Amino acid sequence: MKKNTSKLLDVIFENLIWLLVAAGLIIFSSLSSSFRSPNNLASLLYRSAALGLLVLGQSFTMITGNFDLSSESGLGLTAMVAALALASADNGGLGWEVSPFVAIVLMIGVGLLIGLINGLLITRLKMNNLIVTIAMQMILRGLVYIISPGSTASFFPKAFDWLGGGTLFKIPLERGFFSFPVATLFVILIFVVSHIITRYTQFGRNMYAVGSNLTAAKDAGIDTDKIVRIVYLIDGLCMALAGLLAAGRLDSATPRTGAGLTFPVQAAAVIGGISMAGGRGNMIGALGGLMLWSILDNGLSIMKVSPFWIETSRGLILLFAVWLDAVKVKKVHQRSLIDILLQSTIGLKDKTIVKN
Amino acid sequence: MNTTEKVMERTPILSVEGVSKAFPGVQALTSVDFCVMDGEIHGLVGKNGAGKSTLMAILMGILEPNEGTIIIGDQQFHAMSPKEAIEKGIAYVPQHVAMMDSLTVAENILAGELPKTKSGFVNWKKVNSEAKERLDRLGLEMDVTKKVEGLGVAEQTMLAIAKALFGDAKLIILDEPTASLSRTDINRLFAFVKSLKDKGGSFIYISHHLEEVFEICDRVTVLRDGHIVGTADVAEIDVPKLIVMMVGEDVEDYTRESTCEDETVMVLNGLERRGYYENINLELHKGEIIGLTGLQGCGVEQLGKGLFGLEPRGIGEIILADKKFTAVRPIESFNQGLAYLPQDRYRYGLVGLRSVRENVTYPILNKLVRLMNLINGKEEKIIVNKYIGELDIKTPSQEQPARLLSGGNQQKVVFAKLASTQPSVLVLHEPTQGVDVRAKMDIFRIIDAMAAQGVAIIIISTEIRELIGVCDRILVMNDGRLTSEFKKGEKDMTPEKILAAIEGGKINE
Repeated sequence: MKKNTSKLLDVIFENLIWLLVAAGLIIFSSLSSSFRSPNNLASLLYRSAALGLLVLGQSFTMITGNFDLSSESGLGLTAMVAALALASADNGGLGWEVSPFVAIVLMIGVGLLIGLINGLLITRLKMNNLIVTIAMQMILRGLVYIISPGSTASFFPKAFDWLGGGTLFKIPLERGFFSFPVATLFVILIFVVSHIITRYTQFGRNMYAVGSNLTAAKDAGIDTDKIVRIVYLIDGLCMALAGLLAAGRLDSATPRTGAGLTFPVQAAAVIGGISMAGGRGNMIGALGGLMLWSILDNGLSIMKVSPFWIETSRGLILLFAVWLDAVKVKKVHQRSLIDILLQSTIGLKDKTIVKN
Repeated sequence: MNTTEKVMERTPILSVEGVSKAFPGVQALTSVDFCVMDGEIHGLVGKNGAGKSTLMAILMGILEPNEGTIIIGDQQFHAMSPKEAIEKGIAYVPQHVAMMDSLTVAENILAGELPKTKSGFVNWKKVNSEAKERLDRLGLEMDVTKKVEGLGVAEQTMLAIAKALFGDAKLIILDEPTASLSRTDINRLFAFVKSLKDKGGSFIYISHHLEEVFEICDRVTVLRDGHIVGTADVAEIDVPKLIVMMVGEDVEDYTRESTCEDETVMVLNGLERRGYYENINLELHKGEIIGLTGLQGCGVEQLGKGLFGLEPRGIGEIILADKKFTAVRPIESFNQGLAYLPQDRYRYGLVGLRSVRENVTYPILNKLVRLMNLINGKEEKIIVNKYIGELDIKTPSQEQPARLLSGGNQQKVVFAKLASTQPSVLVLHEPTQGVDVRAKMDIFRIIDAMAAQGVAIIIISTEIRELIGVCDRILVMNDGRLTSEFKKGEKDMTPEKILAAIEGGKINE
């Protein structure tokens, strides 16, 4: 009986994020009619789609016990590169006016290059991942300013904007239309794909092994450095896709595109249960973190809460999430410490786990 | 108890009476009486798991005994807190001293009480002169402006002892201080400790090097399986007697029939890694179990890791199953038929947070992945189930996080992982460490069964009795060379002879 309750508590603990998401949806829906309008609900993830892709990239790196603080600038650089190549000279571009396909390939190339550099610096030169990516954040943001004309580059082809700003269905409502943003669908889809990758592939499983116990992973024959390099490549790809979503939604790119997203990215990932200590959390949880973040943002602004309070509430949620993470880590440590004391130093202890 | 006149004049500085300590499932100490006199160096010896660490942990206030008393001076305690233990003057100097490495010797000595100038800045001149003066009083010569990370291991140990004395320590516990020292450093350390003894300091000296005990200690106490076997004056005892006291004769051993076949599986030819081992020649047969043993730091550990590719292997040739063994990384070793069980399963063997299932299949996932790198879950479950059954791993399910299993079952999970790679050679490093007696028997049965299937097995271990039970041959390594060989069935294969061979190299120096 007691065991069952503690198991139930564990399940609740693990899925807390979805309870919070549900609570947020219910509370804001009951408080505000514009929040619960179908269009608003469908666009919750639309506005934070670019953030979502960065959260995804961050989750990949964090599961292996690494960080990426450079992604906001990676988003900015890829968006700017595409904008310069796409926009006409009148609209702040270089006047090449390449096809959307070429622009997207270009962005992805830049993103992968950033990821490659991050990964190589961290695995080959054994540099600290936190500092490497902070440096990259500065370098990349500097590059954005260097290559940009200093102003906005805008007016891209429709096809380029489709993923970030397009809509899918148009269902007539009593007033106006209900339309479903492509970006929302895309974000959910790519999170689900990532979940499958991390959960059901060899690569995904090795990622968790690297994050939870690096030395044991090496002993089990895993090429840990390679895993980390691939993770940063994926992270780079995520930056490029985030750049695509951001530039597409706004139909423009400025030198400041993406600036200031680093901390929201961290926050959403941690709120979604991705552990700062590595090796724990999953992509669906991270999606929950992103949703809670968006709900809070959207709900509070619709209710005309002062932006200062919005910022404060974000901080409180983040504190709460980090506290949860700390509790989990502490639980693990306590258990393993007791285990080590009982079994290793003093030796000779067999706590047989009783089958039910 | 035999005591010389010299000791009789002295009063006990610390004694414990009737101390017992039980952990769930094991009696670590049983009514232990132990006493250290003022101004003596008291040796404490015993095998791994004899209860030395438990006893020391009680003296340091880390563990609370179930019964018994600790007497320091004229005060009686049931248990102490670590803080009390330090206040009573008990200090512990571990094998690897932890100090503020990037600070100077002087700063380490005066940490927390750095003299200040009038204006509140640190008075560096005074720091250095004061530190120098304190060291001089102990007769320890050392450059106080040198950073601690630049000191040798022996100097760091001496500095730690000195620091403990500045903190008014009366009894200093030295835990294997010589394990990684050269003979000259040992001499210097011993000279220093003896000079402190002459000034009235008391020491408990824990060591596996028995001849050192005779070199430096006044008396020696032997612990075995949580009992005090006896305390003796070193003048009235010799190494063989001490070994008999340590090993005892009441241990139940695992025995097996040899499954060794004629066919050679692996040949090591002149393996050498400078500073660790040299001229290693070894022929391993199908189904043979070889024991490799030696003192800490003799090179067996590096040899095991080197074979698997965790550390550089050095030069020399290895033939495995008629092919040249070229693996330099663990995954290549697995693929070429060599698997390795690391000593510390918590740190190296297991990914504790992940499930039993995942832990078993890490090295063989390559063979389980299908289209798009997706893992064939069904097949994986079948394989894992097979090993859970074969090795009798007690777990509620395959999905149980590995860290929540008991020590013995965790070790079986690591075995399952290795067995799943279907190796032809298996290198085991202390396979029975930290598992209970029953699980030990299980592990021996697993080793036995694998040998019967034709796997050649190398066991690197310091548990000599266990080695004698399972091994066809036991090789002793001394300072990086294989110096003696004992074969099953020969009458020389006794714990005493092997221990003597292990110690042997040191005596000859």
